[in-house]
Amino acid sequence: MGVRAVQVADLRKRYGDVQALRGVSFDVEPGEIYGLVGPNGAGKTTTLRTLSTLLTVGDGDVDVFGADVRSQPNEVRKRIRYLPEDAGAYDNLTGRQYLEFIADFYGDDPDALVERGIEIADLGERIDSKTSEYSKGMTRKLLLASTIMTEPDLAILDEPTSGLDVENARTIRDIVKEFPGTNRSVLLSSHNMLEVEFLCDRIGLLNEGEIVAEGAPADLIAEYGVENLEEVFLEAVV
Amino acid sequence: MNHFWRLLWKETRELLRPRYLLPILMIPIIFLALGQGMGGIDDAASGQPTIGIINEDGGEYGELVNDTLSRNASVVYYAESGDPASAIETVSERGGDALLVIPEGFTERIRDRTAGSVGVHSVVRSLSLSGITSSAQIDGQIQRAGTVLTLNVTGTTPAMLDPIRPAYTTYIEERTVETSPGALSGSFATQFIFIPVVIMFVIIFSGQMVINSMGAEKENKTLETLLTMPVKRSTIVAAKLIGSASIGLLGAALYTISIYYYQSSFTDGGASAALSLGIWDYAIVGVSLFLSLVGVLAFALVLGVFADDRQGAQMLLFPISILAIVPMFATMFTDVARLSLPIRAVLLAIPFTHPAIAPKRLLLNDTMMVFGGIVYQAIFAAAMIWLAIRVFNSDRLVTGSSGQLGRLLSRLQS
Repeated sequence: MGVRAVQVADLRKRYGDVQALRGVSFDVEPGEIYGLVGPNGAGKTTTLRTLSTLLTVGDGDVDVFGADVRSQPNEVRKRIRYLPEDAGAYDNLTGRQYLEFIADFYGDDPDALVERGIEIADLGERIDSKTSEYSKGMTRKLLLASTIMTEPDLAILDEPTSGLDVENARTIRDIVKEFPGTNRSVLLSSHNMLEVEFLCDRIGLLNEGEIVAEGAPADLIAEYGVENLEEVFLEAVV
Repeated sequence: MNHFWRLLWKETRELLRPRYLLPILMIPIIFLALGQGMGGIDDAASGQPTIGIINEDGGEYGELVNDTLSRNASVVYYAESGDPASAIETVSERGGDALLVIPEGFTERIRDRTAGSVGVHSVVRSLSLSGITSSAQIDGQIQRAGTVLTLNVTGTTPAMLDPIRPAYTTYIEERTVETSPGALSGSFATQFIFIPVVIMFVIIFSGQMVINSMGAEKENKTLETLLTMPVKRSTIVAAKLIGSASIGLLGAALYTISIYYYQSSFTDGGASAALSLGIWDYAIVGVSLFLSLVGVLAFALVLGVFADDRQGAQMLLFPISILAIVPMFATMFTDVARLSLPIRAVLLAIPFTHPAIAPKRLLLNDTMMVFGGIVYQAIFAAAMIWLAIRVFNSDRLVTGSSGQLGRLLSRLQS
């Protein structure tokens, strides 16, 4: 068996008096889209930020493609791209300049990455407008394009379609769905059960800092004997 | 381009935006304009006045005054009698500023060893600094004519008009200087008044830039993306520090040049060198200033972590401004070494005091305090860099969770 894309074992994290994560464990295989689902405050963003090296590991083990997040953060950063839920772009740059800035940090041929990013973002002539003039949907498409144009081994997407209208959300879901390859994985979080069911090969239901259920969406629906993931969520969490 | 240079380019580009640059440029422009205005007034005051003369005297001393005035002023009207009120109109029409009337009997009064009067009728065209400078020019010419008159009447020499030349020796701490306390003070003020001011500007501008940089990252919500890129945190810290320092130094240089230009418009620029620093002294002051800069940048970066946005970032500059302004005033108006122990301890605990006091202490050969200050600054700068890297590697950068300090700084921004 090859190296797992993500291996999280008994991850615990405390903010002052609040125990945010209480022993989270899950794996993500190469080529897989894995979704973390849960209510607000369940620990989804904390888990993703820990994997992205933004937060320190409290207790437990977190590996990304065999690199330990705690001791090899720079190795982890080379393998991942992270799209935060509420991210923005530098507002003094155009969309193209922003993609160029990001692409310069990855690979030997940044021009090719930028061309791919422009294609993914699909903003037409507005790619040369300042990002301060973009709508939320345009900014999100640009950021998602900047995240996956570099073809990271692991794309970590926190609420990738949060706050977007139906059309933009659909576009972004299609982009994410097409992204994984043999060695490329996606780890995302979402509130949207339809989105999770559409996108994810497997999901982990996170509640109060613990994974309370895990599996393929169809398997979970069958296991709980319900109609859809939303009902699985309510059964598992409430 | 490696990662550091890419990040440095990004920082510089961000900080060179008009919203940050215009406030920096505004004040130097104001000072330059003021200096230009003051320089113009000085030039006018030192120039040759344009006058008219009515010489009603007809005697030898009246003629002597007339000759002296005519040699040193541009005379556009001359008469031996007439109504001053109508004559001044003619003088004014011909571009003159004043009419001098040497009255009848002037020579007799001088012969009788009494003062003779000269009427001065002036035209003030505008009630402004430049509009009334001609008065000083006329007074200067009358004084000169009076000196010529005294030499002529008494037959004395110019030296006898000012027969005592004091030879000053001033003792200041361990040094002896062959000049008067007044000249010493003037020399010191013109040479060293700038150093604390420059230091204040360097500290405030550099601090402002790095805090702005962090505030912009927070406001644009770009920080998390930046921190997950394949770049070491220490590289991000270094790019922010050096990018901010570059713009901060540019701002400080502009301020310094403009204030120097403004101040030199009041003086002849050739300050007496009764006391002066050597090249090594300046190098030591430079080291002290550099360490201050490094310390303030790292300190500001730590504070910037707590900035919610650009506006909040401005409020976080407040503690740095206080730490920069207090030593500046203390150094300009007092001698830190002569203050009471508690006040001196407080001032010396502020790292930015040390480059401000270094020139004075070096002038007085007090190298102990200067080198002690440099060691203290180096420790402070190293501690701040350590803290900045530690904060950048901690959760605080993302969560903002920071206990008492964070709550205090949040209140400051609200």
